[in-house]
Amino acid sequence: MKKAIFPEQKNNDFKMNYIIRNLSIGEGETAHLCNVNLELPTAGVVTIIGRTLAGKTTLLKVMAGLQAVDSGTFYHNGKDLLKTPAWKRRVGMVYQQFVNYPHLNVRDNIAFPLRRSGMGRDEIEQKLEYVSTLLGLGDYMERRPDELSGGQQQRVALARSLVKDSYLLLLDEPLVNLDYKLREQLREEFRRLFKDSKDRLVVYATTEPDEAMILQGHVVVLHEGRVIQAGPCADVYHYPANIISAKIFNDPPMNMFGGTIADGLIQVAGGLSIKTPSHLKDLAPGSYVFGIRAIDVKLGGKAASADLVLAEVNGSTTVLHLDMDGQNMVLEMQGVHHFDTAARVDFSLLESRLYAFDTERGELLAAPLIKSLSGQGGLNGKN
Amino acid sequence: MQGLTRYKLIFLLPGLLVLLAIILFPLFFTIRVSFSGWDAINPGLGWIGGTNYGRLLADSRFWQSLSRLTTIVLTSVALEYLLGFGLALLVWHQVRLRRITRVLFLIPMMTTPVVMAVIWRTIFHESLGPANDLAGLLGFGNIPWLTKPMWATIVVIVVDVWQWTPFMFLLLLAGLLSLPKEPFLAAEIDGAGPIRTFFNVTFPAMAPITVGALIIRLIEASKIMETIYVITSGGPGTSTETTGYYIFIRGLRDFQIGYAASLSVTYLVIMIVLLTIIAKSLVKVLVKSGN
Amino acid sequence: MRPFLKLLKIVAILVWSVFVVAPFLWALTTSFKTANGVTNGATYLPWIDYEPSLAAWKGLFGSDAGSIDIVGPFANSLIVTLSASFISLTLGTLVAYGLSRFRYKLGPISNADLTFFFISQRIMPPVVLAIPFFLMLGFLGLLDTILGLVLVYIALLLPIAVWVMVDFFNNIPKELDETAIIDGCTPFEAFWRVILPNSLPGLVVAGIFCIVFGWNDFFFAFTLTFTQTQLLPVAIVSLNSSVTPWWSLSASALISVVPLIVVAFLVERYLEKGNISGAKK
Repeated sequence: MKKAIFPEQKNNDFKMNYIIRNLSIGEGETAHLCNVNLELPTAGVVTIIGRTLAGKTTLLKVMAGLQAVDSGTFYHNGKDLLKTPAWKRRVGMVYQQFVNYPHLNVRDNIAFPLRRSGMGRDEIEQKLEYVSTLLGLGDYMERRPDELSGGQQQRVALARSLVKDSYLLLLDEPLVNLDYKLREQLREEFRRLFKDSKDRLVVYATTEPDEAMILQGHVVVLHEGRVIQAGPCADVYHYPANIISAKIFNDPPMNMFGGTIADGLIQVAGGLSIKTPSHLKDLAPGSYVFGIRAIDVKLGGKAASADLVLAEVNGSTTVLHLDMDGQNMVLEMQGVHHFDTAARVDFSLLESRLYAFDTERGELLAAPLIKSLSGQGGLNGKN
Repeated sequence: MQGLTRYKLIFLLPGLLVLLAIILFPLFFTIRVSFSGWDAINPGLGWIGGTNYGRLLADSRFWQSLSRLTTIVLTSVALEYLLGFGLALLVWHQVRLRRITRVLFLIPMMTTPVVMAVIWRTIFHESLGPANDLAGLLGFGNIPWLTKPMWATIVVIVVDVWQWTPFMFLLLLAGLLSLPKEPFLAAEIDGAGPIRTFFNVTFPAMAPITVGALIIRLIEASKIMETIYVITSGGPGTSTETTGYYIFIRGLRDFQIGYAASLSVTYLVIMIVLLTIIAKSLVKVLVKSGN
Repeated sequence: MRPFLKLLKIVAILVWSVFVVAPFLWALTTSFKTANGVTNGATYLPWIDYEPSLAAWKGLFGSDAGSIDIVGPFANSLIVTLSASFISLTLGTLVAYGLSRFRYKLGPISNADLTFFFISQRIMPPVVLAIPFFLMLGFLGLLDTILGLVLVYIALLLPIAVWVMVDFFNNIPKELDETAIIDGCTPFEAFWRVILPNSLPGLVVAGIFCIVFGWNDFFFAFTLTFTQTQLLPVAIVSLNSSVTPWWSLSASALISVVPLIVVAFLVERYLEKGNISGAKK
């Protein structure tokens, strides 16, 4: 795989101080990590996104020093961290299962790493004050972790990792075991907390594209132990490097369907025929894989019809699963609507939002124009 | 993880080395001694090759002791399992009874077997002990507890059952208490009676614990010694002589150390092989029944 | 049908309870007997069947002729059992933690083999070890000494400690150790400061097993000690073979089993708090 470098370095304030080269664990098909090459900034937020078992946790553990690698290097400030034992690195980690010291109260939990490092009592008090105010833990300092709710426990874990003078903060799907409301609330808090991180790099692993979007910052897409794409959040969203990246970084996954371009028309199986939109005009006639987000598939219109297989309500949106003669299509619409299953439904696609991918290697060939990107038209060709 | 090797060793080595030192040396020493003719008249490691092993193969007393051991162990453990399970089932659902019975039934297991054996000896005394009083009461007349082979074996088994049924009881009760409720509710809804529920739900669910308990008890029971020494002295004759006791006599009483060593080595190998086979088969049955 | 079954249950439990308690009751009444209460057949009730006397009990603690020294062997048993249990528990817990947390590989030997090695020591029949121990301790001059016995007992109790603690540690999530390590603890500090404080229930169970098995050993104490260092079980049994009267025998026996019965009560209270039911395997 090519070395993945972040394409736009608008702010060259950060040097890329974390350099991972050819990191591998395991062999062949079942490798946990395969030839990972990454350069990460000294400070800021990096979201690692991927499906379950994609290798996110493994990667985080390698960075923390808890997982041995079969080959590769991991440099920080020019020093190979792989040669440093985990307890000597200055790293913080928050797990998805709330992990706190059960035999200590909240105060001692948070103070634990500070005491290990031999910090003076007054300084410890100061830091405790700061962090407990920051995360709203003031009332719970004397309680034990098992007397706290899930959200509070996770805050304690976060406090403990923040209070240290660490250069790297790793969060492994920290919100996955919390309920919906709490997740929304904490996501906002995270964004606030990490937004202006100037002295540490926050690496946040998740399966949810939404969290990446909220946190903004850089994104690394991981799939089956390999880095599929890396770049600023907006880049990965607007220009997914290939089909896999497009599917992972969208929820519901981007619809993919085969089709042919001929005579200014896109023909799709199931009878759907679309006039070739302007941003795809330069593509040679032939077969392609087209992608479109569920949110860009609209109900109504005369373009096509399909059988409604399933309608599910997700929070405040409704997601429809359609079957167009064997071709699946997912449609997302705002609001909560009721549908009869096995109904026949008319829908249409927003052509200006179509992506085109290569049929053989799945690489991005053309992407929709983005009005907000200053000065740039659509991007044709690969990165 | 980097830098871990030193710690891996810190944790494992002390215990491992101590155990190896205390166990391996004696073991190797025994093997060496088994090839010597060490006895009261000729002390020392004089090499005599495999003479002891040859003698052992023809030693019917040794082989019979193995079969006696098997009988005693299998009978005792089977009884302990059945009684322990039965008692656990009886007490399972009654919370109040559970606490009292748990303490009460725990006690035999905590007593020193050899000391209890001393007491049992007085109990089974054929003319002065209460056992024959009880037998008389039940209409059986005087039972030759310690003078007839069959009864002596029964005495050994009774004592072992008294001592170790609590172990089965506690283990199985803990197991029963940790079973999930759903399968039982399902059985109730299906209208299954207590017997059907037991065979179709309870017993299969307890399979893992059953296997574990049986393996542990079989291993421990095979070492039975105190009872034999105190109550029957292997008798009458050699009818309750287990292999362990026989080796003890040969080695530390007759002082035929070399021969006893060869008996020990053979006995050890047989026990390891047997118990490993039994353990593995039980586990296999367990795995198969789970499918 | 129901009340009949219930009656049957109660009868069964009563019968078993009587069976459990019977030997103790017998020993108790026998301990108060004198020659008359024994030589004419079994007697049961004091004052009705025989004249009770405190001779046996007085003899236990006195030092005049015809009495038995229980205090000495009792103390010896205490020292040997507690020392061996403590050492076994310490070494065994360390081993168990290593086997639970780290991956060992020495050629074909891996964690599972190591664990099996430790636990399979329990298969060793005592007599197999007794003979070489007898010879070797003799050679080292450790026969009939407390040190010699403690060494031997460590070999017996270490496997038990490993067995209980490995299972216990396996039930503590590794993430807790990892968090401690990330917070600056070396693996040993993680064990000492975080895991151990959270391992009290397991240590209690392992400790009790070690103490019980240690206290109750007869065979090794019997073959490896003679007069200098006598342990309690041996002392009791040696009474058996001499002309000691039944009542002294019973009194001594009862005294020796009382400590563990007390432990039984304590264990039951602990069990009731639900702490052990999962760890008992």
